[in-house]
Amino acid sequence: MFQTRSEYDRGVNTFSPEGRLFQVEYAIEAIKLGSTAIAIKTREGVVLAVEKRATSPLMDASSLEKIAEIDAHVGCAVSGLTADAWTMVEHGRAECQNHYFTYNEPMPVLSCTTSLCELAMSFAGEGEKRMSRPFGVALLVAGKDEDGYHLVHTDPSGTAVQYKAKAIGSGSEGAQTALQEEYRDDLTLKEAETLALKTLKAVMEEKVNTTNVDMARVAPAYVKYSDAAIQEIIDRL
Amino acid sequence: MIPRRVAHNPIIGPGVVPRGVDAEYDAACARDDARDGPATTTHAPASGRAFTLDGKAREKAPTTRTQTPYVTGTSALGLKYGDGVLLACDTLACYGSTKRYKNVERVKKVNERCAIAFTGELSDFTYVCNLLEELTTEDFCEDDGMTRDAEEIYQYLTRVMYNRRNKFDPLWNSLVVAGLKTNGETFLGTVGMIGTHYEDDHVCAGFGNHIARPIFREFYKADMTEEQAVEVMRSALYACVMRDKQMMNKFQICKVTKDGVTISEPFAVPTEWGYEKFYNPTKFSETGW
Amino acid sequence: MAPEGARQHANWSPYDNNGGTVLAVAGENYVICASDTRMSTGYSILTRNYEKVDQMSPKTLMASAGFMADAQTLKKTLKARCKQYEFQNKKPIGCVSFAQMLSNTLYYRRFFPYYAFNIVAGLDAEGKGAVFTYDAVGSYERTNYSCQGSGQALIMPVLDNQLKTVSPLVLPAVSSATPLSEAAAIELIKDCFATAAERDIYTGDRVELWIMNADGVRKEEMPLRLD
Repeated sequence: MFQTRSEYDRGVNTFSPEGRLFQVEYAIEAIKLGSTAIAIKTREGVVLAVEKRATSPLMDASSLEKIAEIDAHVGCAVSGLTADAWTMVEHGRAECQNHYFTYNEPMPVLSCTTSLCELAMSFAGEGEKRMSRPFGVALLVAGKDEDGYHLVHTDPSGTAVQYKAKAIGSGSEGAQTALQEEYRDDLTLKEAETLALKTLKAVMEEKVNTTNVDMARVAPAYVKYSDAAIQEIIDRL
Repeated sequence: MIPRRVAHNPIIGPGVVPRGVDAEYDAACARDDARDGPATTTHAPASGRAFTLDGKAREKAPTTRTQTPYVTGTSALGLKYGDGVLLACDTLACYGSTKRYKNVERVKKVNERCAIAFTGELSDFTYVCNLLEELTTEDFCEDDGMTRDAEEIYQYLTRVMYNRRNKFDPLWNSLVVAGLKTNGETFLGTVGMIGTHYEDDHVCAGFGNHIARPIFREFYKADMTEEQAVEVMRSALYACVMRDKQMMNKFQICKVTKDGVTISEPFAVPTEWGYEKFYNPTKFSETGW
Repeated sequence: MAPEGARQHANWSPYDNNGGTVLAVAGENYVICASDTRMSTGYSILTRNYEKVDQMSPKTLMASAGFMADAQTLKKTLKARCKQYEFQNKKPIGCVSFAQMLSNTLYYRRFFPYYAFNIVAGLDAEGKGAVFTYDAVGSYERTNYSCQGSGQALIMPVLDNQLKTVSPLVLPAVSSATPLSEAAAIELIKDCFATAAERDIYTGDRVELWIMNADGVRKEEMPLRLD
């Protein structure tokens, strides 16, 4: 695609004659530079696992946060520009609280992702809240509502697609193939934990340990795994 | 306080009489000021005496003149019958208790299948008519053969009246909306000045709710012919004119059917005043003089 | 301007009370929402055929007494918001969510309130009857029966007497739904309205009952005193 670069990659709201929005496509490319994140949906819950890439041994890996709670029943893993991710997460949190305030019920997961996607599209709008560029981040949103468990992937174009298992980030291609081979509809949560970490391990350059991965689950509430819990899964591999 | 004299001198402006022009008037003003203190003013020309009309007062105070009616129409009556609706009211607009305008058309044709009548402030009704005129013009410009039906006009007026009450600036009217719905059914509804609205087979806005409504309730039949309905309406108008002192014996009946809206020429209902006691009311009165 | 007391016309008020009584009873697997159909102002009857109960969503009924222009506007606003909810969340709004939304809507008008006394009746997520009762500025409570409007003082004590249930504080928990069968509850409600119409001049003409259960919603009617 970089060969076809032309005038049409300047404005975020301009289609190329072939019908492409280059800035959005570049933003999607930005995710492929991000660290790998994996999510697997089972009947018992959804597991999220991310790689934390410390670029320097002097860096405190615990400050790299790539998994966030949006509401008690919704969590997400991110890949790409993390700062953009926090803007989206904050928006999702506000929307969930607003829904609870107005309707006295947890926000349906798909409504939550829709509102996140609306924000992702805000570069196309007008007015004060207009964003100058697409968000350079993809989210794996995991949640539970009255319809059961959901795993939704959102990208910078504001598209939301539901998955049974999904990998994003630099190792996504290999990881997605692995997930496709290993995924079964009757996976238990425990098996999903193992599969997620195993897949992550396969695409990571470093050896997996408690400092360079993070995990969380929504089953049915959002819980972030402690180091001990992650270690326990590593030991299962 | 003595009345301040009015001068029409173009240099000193209206309403000001300079000192030294009239010695007697100066003395009267001095006495007056000694008793009450100098007249309050925000506008005292150097050459003249206090000018008592505060030109800024109107800007300071909130507008209240729209919160009381001035020129008003009394009852408006509406009655459904077999295949149409009747609206009726007199042709009088009162200024307080003065019969001020005796030839006012108090029903308005909105379009071919809707007409409205009003009680309350005449000028506010004119405003409502302007709003409806805009709608009708819009409908006309669309040129798609569709017009708003009576129920849509009614719902629109409901929102207009309610929104104005929300602004604490009500339109001082009760409106009766009559006509046909798009499906051909008859429609009759009323909207009050604070937005209260309802539909019924017969409605009365204003004092007629007390006088004409009981007559309607007694004689209304869903399948009345037009002649029967007009007869009921005339007896209701008769009752109104006899008991409502704001009502005048000059009426118009408006008819809405699938053939359109017709507003009758003004007519009177027959009344009998030729009683002996009416010729000389005090003749048999013991205390009369 | 004429001094106070010397006015030729009454000063206007943005509010009116159009009377009317609304009532709802929740059972284990049904809910009934009822109202009379009289609309009044002062000592005048405006119309004898004004329906105060509305279906807001498949599982929610709402009835309002008080100032009918406000009540009607409130319902229109809420119906629009129910539609929006359905578009946004791809499901019809439930009665518990609707109840919260009504409360918020009322409270947003805290300083120019809707003069409407509302009851929400519906079936909750478990299919159990639910009644929510409100004041004009949005305070609300889930109960199993309630009555509001001009006949409240006449009907409420009867419901208290006939429908009292086990305290929600006892352990093990006992269902707080009305133990009456649907048919018995319908009869009780009809009696309540007939009774209120005897003494309350703002209640009368007709009572309409909306009965909601797993099969859907149906309506029953009964004539009341016309005087």
